Amino acid sequence: MTAPTADPTLIDGVRDRASQTLRATRVVVGRLDGLAVAVVTAFGYLLAYLWMTDHLQFRSGTGLSWFVVADPTSRLFDRRGPFSFEPIAVLEFGVGTLLVSPVDLALGLTLAVLVGLNLAFATLAAVQPASCGFGAGAGFGAAVPALLSGSVCCAPMLILILGIQASGTLLTVLPWLLPVGVTLLLASLVYVAGMIDLTAATRTKTERSRR
Amino acid sequence: MTDRSRRAVLATAGSAVAAITVAGCLGDDGDGLYEDDDAESADAMGNATSADLASLEADESAVEATALPIADPSLPLSYEPEVLREETISGGVPKDGIPSIDEPTFQPATGADSRMDDGDPVFGVEIDGEARAYPQSILVYHEIVNDDIGGESVAITYCPLTGTAMGFYRNDVEFGVSGNLVNSNLIMYDREDDSRWPQMLGTAIDGPLEGASLEEFRIHWVPWERWLEAHPDSEVLTEDTGFARDYGSDPYGAYNPRTRYYEPESEPMFQPLDEDDRHPPKRMTLGARPPEGPLAFDLEVVAEAGLVALELNDRGETNVTTGEAQGGGDAVAQFIAVYEDRLDTVHLYRGDGDPYAHEDGAIVDGDGESHAPGEVPLESVYAYDAMWFAWMGFYPNSIVVD
Repeated sequence: MTAPTADPTLIDGVRDRASQTLRATRVVVGRLDGLAVAVVTAFGYLLAYLWMTDHLQFRSGTGLSWFVVADPTSRLFDRRGPFSFEPIAVLEFGVGTLLVSPVDLALGLTLAVLVGLNLAFATLAAVQPASCGFGAGAGFGAAVPALLSGSVCCAPMLILILGIQASGTLLTVLPWLLPVGVTLLLASLVYVAGMIDLTAATRTKTERSRR
Repeated sequence: MTDRSRRAVLATAGSAVAAITVAGCLGDDGDGLYEDDDAESADAMGNATSADLASLEADESAVEATALPIADPSLPLSYEPEVLREETISGGVPKDGIPSIDEPTFQPATGADSRMDDGDPVFGVEIDGEARAYPQSILVYHEIVNDDIGGESVAITYCPLTGTAMGFYRNDVEFGVSGNLVNSNLIMYDREDDSRWPQMLGTAIDGPLEGASLEEFRIHWVPWERWLEAHPDSEVLTEDTGFARDYGSDPYGAYNPRTRYYEPESEPMFQPLDEDDRHPPKRMTLGARPPEGPLAFDLEVVAEAGLVALELNDRGETNVTTGEAQGGGDAVAQFIAVYEDRLDTVHLYRGDGDPYAHEDGAIVDGDGESHAPGEVPLESVYAYDAMWFAWMGFYPNSIVVD
C-alpha cells in the first residue's frame, strides 16, 4: 500500500500564489505611497487593537515607571482568554499605561500588518490607473474584508461598551473571530495580489524612477 | 425565563409565608418561596428547625473528607443544581484566566490614602478585631483573594458582573476562578477537589461536594473615606499582587461615579435566570435567604428611612414599617434592616418581637437603650449587596421591600 501523495498541481498552485503575493507585497511596499499607507494603517490599527483589548489606556497622572512580574518567561503563555495571554509587565508613561503581553502584542502586530497591507493594496487600486497594474476590483476586494476582519478583536469590548446582551450563539462565535479574521485577511491579500499585473506595476515604477 | 422548570430544594419554614400574595411593594409571586409548595411549619418567630428543611443532600463521605468548613444545613436554592449546570456558560476566560490573589500584601490604611479617592468602593472585613479593606479596583481583576484574617483562613470574593462581595471560610483550601458563569455570577472552584461554587449561592452545583454549602461571612461595600474614618488602624490590600495589571482602569466602567456596566439602568451582559422589571437591572439590593424565604431590601429605601421592618404573619400577610419596628402582634417572623451611616451600609437582624426605632442614626430598643446600627443585640441575619437582576435571577420569589 502506497502512502497518499499530494497533488503536485495543487502544491504548485499554492506555491505560485504565495510567490505572487510576496512579489506583489514587495511592489506595494516598495512604493512610497503604498508603504506610507501600510505603515500608518498598521500603526493605527495596533494602537486601536491594544486599546480595545485593554492593553493600552490613556489617562493623566500615571507617572513614569515600569514593573515586571517575577519569572516572566514562565508566564508568557499563561492564557487569559482564547487568544489572550498573561501580561508580564506594566509600563506607565505619564499619560497612560501599557500592559506588555508579548504573545498578545505579536498577535496584534500580525493583524496590524495584514490590515495595513490590505489597505495599501486597496488605496493604490483606488488612486492608480489600471494601466499601472491595479484594478478597481482589487481595491474593493481588499477593503471590505480588511475592515471587517480587522475589527474582530474588538468584538468583546464592543459588547461591553454598547451594553449588548451576549447570546449563547455570540459567546460560541467569539473565540473564533480572531482566527477567522486572520484567515480572511490572508485570503483577501492573496486574492488581490493575484489580480495585480506585476509586470505593469513594476514597469510603471521603473519608468517613474527614470524620470 | 419565568416559565423555567424550577423546583424548590428547601422547604420554607413558614407555611403562611409560602402563600404570600401581597399588593404594593411586596413580593407578589405567591407560589412559594424558594419555589416550594410544600412549606412546613415554623416556631413562634419563624425560626426554622432542621426538621423543617428538606436539604440538598451532599455526599456525606465527601463532606467528611473535605477540609472546607461546610454549613449545616445547606443553603436554600431556587433551582436544582442540574438546572444551574445547564445554565452555566463560559465567561470567555479559561480556568484561572482571572487569577486569584494567593499571596496578598497589605499596607496601613493611612498610607494608602494617596492612591484612593474618597468615594472609591472598598470591601471591608472585620474578623476578631482585625480589619482589612480590599479595593474594588484590585478585586475586579482577581475576583478572589485567599487570605487569613484574625486567625481565620478566608476567601474574599467579588463578582463584578453581579456586584456581589462575599466572604467564605476556607480552612486553608484555596479557591480559584473557574472562568464559568451562571446568572452572570462568578463560579468559583476549590483547589482541593474542584467542586464548582456559584458565589451568590455559596453552594456547590457540581463536583464531589455538590449540594454542600460554604460557611459565609459578611463583607461590606464601603466608600474609602468612611472606611478610613471608621478603621484608621486597618490594613489595605496593595497593588503588589504579583500580576501585571492596570489597577487604575476598570474594564467594566467605574463606580465613582457609576458608569457603563455599573450604571443602574444598563442591561446585564448575559440573560438572567429570571427577569423582574420592578427596578432597574443594576439597582443595589440587600438580599438574604433565611429559612422563611428569600428577601430583597432596596438599599436606598433603608438608607433613607434608617430602619425598615418586615413582619410576616401566619396568614401569609406581610407588614412593612419604616423608622420603627412595632413588635408584638401576630408576626411569626420579623426582619429589621438598619442603615449605618458611618459605613454607608445596611445590617439585617431577626427581630425578637420587641419594638425598635431609628433615632438620630442609632437604634433605640423598647427599654429606651440606644445601640449603634451595627451592634443591635439581635440575631444577625446574613445578607449581602447584589445587583437587582442578579438577586431576582437566583431568588425570583423574594419578598421585595422597596
